[in-house]
Amino acid sequence: MKKFLLIALVAALVLPLFANGSQESASSAGFAPTKDITWYCTSKPGGGSDIYTRAISDAATANGWLSKAPLVNYKTDGAGEIGRNEVANTKQNADYTLLTFNSGDLMPMVANTNNRIKNFTPIAIMATDKQLLFVNPEKAKYKTFADAIAAAKAGTQVVIAGSKGDDLELYGMLIKELGLKENQMAYITNDSTADAITSGLGGHVDFVMSKPAAASEYVKANMLVPVLALSTSRFAGNLSSAPTLSEVDSKYNNVELPVWRGVVGPANMSEDAAKFYSDMLKKVSESKEWKEGYLASYSLESSYMDYQEAKAYMEKYEADYLKKIGK
Amino acid sequence: MSNFSMLFNGFSVVFTFQNVAVCLLGAILGLIVGAMPGIGSLAGVALLLPLTYKFNPTTAIILLGSLYYSNMYGGSFSAILLNIPGDSPAVMTMLDGYPMAKKKGRPGQALFTANMASFIGGTIGMIILTFLGPGLANVGLHFGPQDMTSLLLVAMTSIGWLVGKNPTQGVILTMIGILLACIGMDPQSGAPRYNFGNMYLMGGVSFVPFVIGTVGFSQVLRLMSERNEKVDDDKMVKQKLTIKGSLLSLHDFRRLLPPAIRSGILGTFVGVLPGAGATTGAFLGYAMNKAFKSEEPFGTGAIEGIASCEAANNAAAAGAFAPLLALGIPGSGTGAVLLGGLMMWGLNPGPLLFTNNPDFAWGLISSLFLANLLTLMIAIGVIPFLIKILTVPVKVIIPVVLVICMVGSYANTYSMYGVVIMIVSGVVSYICEKSGYSTAPMLLSFVLAPLLESNMRKAFITSQGSVSIFFTSPISCTFMIILFVIVLTPVIRGILKGVKNK
Repeated sequence: MKKFLLIALVAALVLPLFANGSQESASSAGFAPTKDITWYCTSKPGGGSDIYTRAISDAATANGWLSKAPLVNYKTDGAGEIGRNEVANTKQNADYTLLTFNSGDLMPMVANTNNRIKNFTPIAIMATDKQLLFVNPEKAKYKTFADAIAAAKAGTQVVIAGSKGDDLELYGMLIKELGLKENQMAYITNDSTADAITSGLGGHVDFVMSKPAAASEYVKANMLVPVLALSTSRFAGNLSSAPTLSEVDSKYNNVELPVWRGVVGPANMSEDAAKFYSDMLKKVSESKEWKEGYLASYSLESSYMDYQEAKAYMEKYEADYLKKIGK
Repeated sequence: MSNFSMLFNGFSVVFTFQNVAVCLLGAILGLIVGAMPGIGSLAGVALLLPLTYKFNPTTAIILLGSLYYSNMYGGSFSAILLNIPGDSPAVMTMLDGYPMAKKKGRPGQALFTANMASFIGGTIGMIILTFLGPGLANVGLHFGPQDMTSLLLVAMTSIGWLVGKNPTQGVILTMIGILLACIGMDPQSGAPRYNFGNMYLMGGVSFVPFVIGTVGFSQVLRLMSERNEKVDDDKMVKQKLTIKGSLLSLHDFRRLLPPAIRSGILGTFVGVLPGAGATTGAFLGYAMNKAFKSEEPFGTGAIEGIASCEAANNAAAAGAFAPLLALGIPGSGTGAVLLGGLMMWGLNPGPLLFTNNPDFAWGLISSLFLANLLTLMIAIGVIPFLIKILTVPVKVIIPVVLVICMVGSYANTYSMYGVVIMIVSGVVSYICEKSGYSTAPMLLSFVLAPLLESNMRKAFITSQGSVSIFFTSPISCTFMIILFVIVLTPVIRGILKGVKNK
């Protein structure tokens, strides 16, 4: 009797394991999340990547495309490399792990580490963001960017404050186009755009480089004024007064470094899961919340690409950038 | 409407059953989170944030604001009782708190001093925030990188008092602290530095595991190596475990008050400065009060020592709300999470917050007053239970502290990397202390060096490498004069003494 009870107990404990296994294989035909989704964000809360992540999460949960809001995990260690490495190496729960990933993340990642796009499953590209230069109207030494170029060429140092990654890269492109050296038009790297804006508000730098999202409230309060659109065309709304570089002086070409904002998962993510998230993000990209609450509010351009297009695009971007930096 | 009536308006928002209840909950959680080494206000606020998603924004910020604020109280508990700081500002509290509790056998009074000073400092900070908030935030903006550099150099002088009897050893450990702080990403070029190809080191040596190892784990090793010797904890066992027994005498209270008021005012202004935070506030508060008379020397368990850093860090925590609310600028990591929360609740943090959402902004400020009072009452009420920790036998304390060190280090980094840092720094510190080297200078230089480097390099970019920038700005020049006075006074005094003796 004891033996029978023991066998029955073991069978009762083991059976659910098989049941679980068969359930997984049955669900592989079409993925739908049944557990919490962990969404990694490798920059600080309140920054552009955080706003983007939450905008997607809000639109997806409000419309019922995700039953529960994903758990946002801020992994900023090692300038975000630890978080990206962790996602790349996620083996278990790969179908429930997402990472906010943009070109500003890709550039330092491939420059400083061996982590590459092949270690991730690209899911979608959602939007394109661009930068502007702003001045503090009360403390600005130069009211226009043309004045600043003239001053720099005449030997007065002009100082721009911005963030790391793509901002730093864009600054390099700007001074190259202007034919200036780093000591003529200097750049102060800050941990975040918020820090750069703080130094601009205090009048400690001449210009602040920022994307529209981070500067928007200060523009509304007239504490920052846009003076240069780092784009091939002007921005809309209250940023439309800023000319492009070719409008400032026709001898210069426009300078821009569009920052694509995307979402990736671990390399181990199943194709079904990638397709599910890609479709879900397509619905988000077409939603009113996304178009009005995010793209229009923060002056971004919609540029949805599904998981297959995003993969091809990110791989080409990586190859071009590696070639550019000689790696 | 005047700020005073706006504050009363804020109180009418706060005094609903729901808001008082969440304020109390925030105060209790903040104390617990602050008392646990490794889990600071940043983790506490970040963990609670998703739960507030469906809350009314005012209720949500009251919960998180009171948690953030009361966390400043909790940090001193483990610093005083176990010599392990619960959060980074408590590093300074440890210098006098632990000797007062352990060597002088006055743990109850040490905790009471920390709580009272926190309350006084916080109240001063909140009053200044109420009446000068937006204006103060604009004053903070005037501090450029050159001004921050000079201010941090003044804060760095506090290391001079901790080098002990052998200045050479102190300087060596200060340099080691600065070298360790250089590991990670270069703040200007963004290139990895001294990481030896290791991805974890790319993020630098994490501060909390480093402190836990240097102070806590090395202490575990010391207790283990001395396990056969009689440990000096007799005084603790005899300590009366009541609130009454922990009360300060009128004389002690008179000692506490002046440094707490001075630090409260200074701490508020430091909290407003971009990127300075409660830790720098505690350092400067301690450094400033050292210049004033105290009944006992600082670092030997002086009431003035505990009061000066505890009042400063609470005042800085209150002051940090000025740029956050008035300009949308987060002064610390926790401030950044709160800012994320504001956006999540559908508000637009920035210069228009006070105008567009006065109920929210003033409700938060009023709730800080309430949280300050509630936290003080809870913190004093738990003193008798807390000091019971000191009566626990060493053979039990060793494994318990070891577990706290492990969990705290892991919780801070969410990886074994933190635990490895803790163990390595603990072993190295143990060896240093056995060889007569005090590790306090290493800790302090490690905290201040990254801030100093970042600001100094920004200043040099602006001035194209010229040091004149530190003297042309009036704010920076003032701090430079203070710095020279602090550094040169003992030298001049020595020369004068020499001349007199001749």
